[in-house]
Amino acid sequence: MLNYLALLPTLPLVGFLILTAFGKSLSKRSVVAIGVGSMALAAMLTIGIAIHFLSAPPPGHVFEQHLWTWFQVGDLAPGFSLYLDALSLAMILVITLVGFLIHLYSAEFMRDDDAYARFFAYMNLFVSLMLILVLADNLLLLYLGWEGVGMCSFLLIGFWYKKPENSKAAQKAFIVTRVGDTAMAIGLFLLITQLGTLDIQELGVRASEKWPVGSGMAVAAAALLLGGAVGKSAQLPLQTWLPDAMAGPSPVSALIHAATMVTAGVYLIARTHALFALAPVVLTAVMLIGLLTQLTAGISAVHQRDIKRILAYSTISQLGYMFFALGVSSNGAAINHLMTHACFKATWFLAAGAVIIAVNHEHDIFKMGGLGKKLPVLFWTMFFAGCGPFFSKDGILAEVWFSDTGGPFLWLLGLFGVFVTSIYLFRLLFTVFLGPLKNDVHWKPGLAITIPLVILATGSVVGAIVEYPRLLGYHPYATGTEAAHASPYLHAAIGKIAVGVALAGIYVAYRLFVRHKHYEAGEVVVPHITLRMRRLFAAGWYFDRAYHAAFVVPFQATSRFLRSELIDRGYDAVVALVQTGHRQIRRSQTGRLRWYAAGIAVGAVFCLGAVLL
Amino acid sequence: MNTTDLIALSPLLIVGLSAVAILLLISLRRNHRAVATLALGGLALAMASIPQAAAVAPHHIAPLMMADGYALFYSALLLAASFVVGLLSFDYLEQRGEQREEYYVLLLLATLGGLVLVGANHFVSLFLGLEILSVAIYVMVAYARSSPLAAETGIKYLILAGTSSAFMVFGMALVYAQTGTLEFGPMAAQLMQMEDFGLALPGMAMMLVGVGFKLAVVPFHMWTPEVYQGAPVPVTAFVATVSKGAMFALLLRFFAAFEADEAQPIMNILGLLAIASMLAGNLLALLEDNVKRLLAYSSIAHLGYVLVAFLAESSFGDEAVTFYLVAYFISTLAAFGVISVLSDGKSEADRMEDFRGLYWRRPMLATLMTAALLSLAGIPLTTGFVAKFAVVAAGVKAALWVPVFALALGSAIGLYYYLRLVVVMLSPVNPTDDSNSEATATDDAMSTRAPNPAILRPKKVPIGPAFALSILAIFLLGLGVLPTPLMDFIKSSVSELR
Repeated sequence: MLNYLALLPTLPLVGFLILTAFGKSLSKRSVVAIGVGSMALAAMLTIGIAIHFLSAPPPGHVFEQHLWTWFQVGDLAPGFSLYLDALSLAMILVITLVGFLIHLYSAEFMRDDDAYARFFAYMNLFVSLMLILVLADNLLLLYLGWEGVGMCSFLLIGFWYKKPENSKAAQKAFIVTRVGDTAMAIGLFLLITQLGTLDIQELGVRASEKWPVGSGMAVAAAALLLGGAVGKSAQLPLQTWLPDAMAGPSPVSALIHAATMVTAGVYLIARTHALFALAPVVLTAVMLIGLLTQLTAGISAVHQRDIKRILAYSTISQLGYMFFALGVSSNGAAINHLMTHACFKATWFLAAGAVIIAVNHEHDIFKMGGLGKKLPVLFWTMFFAGCGPFFSKDGILAEVWFSDTGGPFLWLLGLFGVFVTSIYLFRLLFTVFLGPLKNDVHWKPGLAITIPLVILATGSVVGAIVEYPRLLGYHPYATGTEAAHASPYLHAAIGKIAVGVALAGIYVAYRLFVRHKHYEAGEVVVPHITLRMRRLFAAGWYFDRAYHAAFVVPFQATSRFLRSELIDRGYDAVVALVQTGHRQIRRSQTGRLRWYAAGIAVGAVFCLGAVLL
Repeated sequence: MNTTDLIALSPLLIVGLSAVAILLLISLRRNHRAVATLALGGLALAMASIPQAAAVAPHHIAPLMMADGYALFYSALLLAASFVVGLLSFDYLEQRGEQREEYYVLLLLATLGGLVLVGANHFVSLFLGLEILSVAIYVMVAYARSSPLAAETGIKYLILAGTSSAFMVFGMALVYAQTGTLEFGPMAAQLMQMEDFGLALPGMAMMLVGVGFKLAVVPFHMWTPEVYQGAPVPVTAFVATVSKGAMFALLLRFFAAFEADEAQPIMNILGLLAIASMLAGNLLALLEDNVKRLLAYSSIAHLGYVLVAFLAESSFGDEAVTFYLVAYFISTLAAFGVISVLSDGKSEADRMEDFRGLYWRRPMLATLMTAALLSLAGIPLTTGFVAKFAVVAAGVKAALWVPVFALALGSAIGLYYYLRLVVVMLSPVNPTDDSNSEATATDDAMSTRAPNPAILRPKKVPIGPAFALSILAIFLLGLGVLPTPLMDFIKSSVSELR
């Protein structure tokens, strides 16, 4: 079964190729058969691979498949080689299973769209490239997938490209992540020149041989890779693209901007952990970035009105938690949260998409209300899915408490984040689904929407209980926290405090948004906060405004300046010179025979003169 | 004359006999299709006889002719080009009600002249070939008698060609006076033993006038736009390819007999002519609105490019010259072929306006035209790129820095007008749709005429031109991607030259 691993990225790629080549002539039914069918096959194959991997583990719990050598330049010979271990197994399970459910949902969700085939083509291509990203055994192949998913993200955010703001959002996402990607590319060059390989396992070995802990090179390499991860996973300071990326269709938000692509940064750091372990400074930076992102995005989420933007900020905040965990070297806790969060956030995005359709494309949660009676499936799946991640988060917080770099103070800040999380999630849930009915609902989700929601919500709840990475042989609680192993009960108790805080948050949300009906006015969101601060939070801490002033305005000014002046002048002069030459020499073509004969005579005189004189 | 001579001469004999056969056929019965078939059959048969001739090569025929690999390679090239011109001519003439049959006699005779030129090893055969070629072309150029331009074009070409031929004969006489021989090989051997060339040097300089006129290099180029524009399109294609190619083959053979630095003054003159041609040709073409004139100017520049490789005076240079001429033949024939197919019985599609929006009306033809133009511009993946690369390489190897620099400069200017035509083909059909486009700027009163209605009403491409154009398209791109087989073949063909 494991030998079919290479088929995994191939299946959606074939779907993409067929849909691209023949998409226009295919019926919608065939498009679904190909687009969703390829994902169904990939999901089944993944389950088969997982069962094989767990029941008959390959030696060292690692399976490698070398397909071919990509190219060879000197000693550098990156291959098209796949690497399957517990970490990548976790990722492919998320990508194909959640991916399949989202594709299934899209079959119904996108039914009325004219560009049905194009949508599934992009989605299939995305899944294929995402699988390459997580299965790559070297950083170059990973980078191929990394850039590829970025491109698909661009294409899908701008899927409804006829609206200019959607295209702008797509460009923003592409350009902002490009900043991080450039850092990552430089990091790869650094690794090639310093260590002479991009093979991830080999890198870890050579780096620890060559670089002492905390050496400059190790810090630089890890920091540059972190740059890529920060861009992809929308962490501070490159988080600004994700809220705007909600311009894409809801399934896209669910698949790319919640469950899979944005977690690529988390995956990258976990995968190259050997490098980060050599640079404790960078790991601390990862932790602080995660913490700050989680807090700022969480607070922003409480002040949003657009249902999808709330979820976008929530995603940034949850990714912050994963970075928080990575920063204290607790990769297992990060991956555990990644998996439950994938189920949870996919459910919420898909349900939000359904809500938006049901209320006739309204995005403002304060113009919705009482939908729980009309759309019970959406309410209950969101409710249950929303409970899951609190349990995976308690793991992270416990790790922070016990880690060397963390400690009770950071734990407390993390705990505050949990409180904020439950407020903004249940603010959304209560405002939309409880209270008096405000909207006409003429639309009910069909089976293709309900089934994925139920399964994903179940996945979120089950994940909270069983801790998926543990199932896959990837120990959720990590490396280095001996204290945790020394006192497992304390570990559990510290963690469970988070659950208590979350319940408190739910209660506060209930008091504020159901009992006090602050939502009625719309304006009153959280009391005792000034208007100025509220604006700051709602605008995402003015990052956009600052970047606009710092980068976009000077860049545009420079380009306007260059466009009208200076460099063009030189080219204009060349053009003018050539055109003048043409006009002058053209006058020699008079059409008069005697003039032409004179030309021959002059030529003859010239030839003779040249040899005689 | 023995059997070997006959075999070695068989391509010439077959072409000549076909011309006679056509004359006889016409006197019996006028039938355009039969005559065209006979002419094309004759050309094909002549081509088929080349492998037989190659079996006995290299072979001297009297002192006059040389049937070696070089001559046979160029013979094949000229025959193939004539064949393509013949295919284009049939449908072109079919739409016109004039006397059509005699055209093929002229076509075959002109080809015969070209074949004599590429095999010439002697001043007599040189002049004979040149005149057979020229006299046939005088008539061909003026063949469309009803066209107002035809007589003017014919007279201009006749007088100027006659003048230049006179210079040539005079030059030959001077060379003969100095050396006492008319045969290339002994002539070179004798000159190299002398202290200085004496009268032979002005003689060769005067011969350059005749050569320069046929090749249309500056300052003997001024007839080109007029003749290209006034002659029927297939004839233009013939003048642009067969006539120039044959003359260049002769030039190469003549000077290959000399040691590199012996004929240095002549080479200096040719270098200056090349530089002037590359710059003037491209500048003249820059804003030209008549596509036939544009190609005329561009051909001036192209002959300048070939001269750069010629000046390298090495085997590598010879290969580059030959490859460049092949590429030039293919690209030029393709471009004129498209113009010919787009033309109708009343007028020719030679104005920029006729090409406006061609992509949306005739995508295949527009694509081929684009490929031909890109090849002429020397863009990669086309045979023109490989050819230009070979020429530049030959020039750089011989350290001809000034001509190579002029070549680069000329190519940069040239890109503008080739791409300009491509842009016009991509523009919307209605010119008001993009009035701000650079390409719509018209400084020629002719382009304000309404587009040719036949061009707006697509007709099917007839089978003959369709076949010719497909073959050209295959070579155009095929040799751009895979030039090695032809390169190797040329290498073995021209190796006997030096």
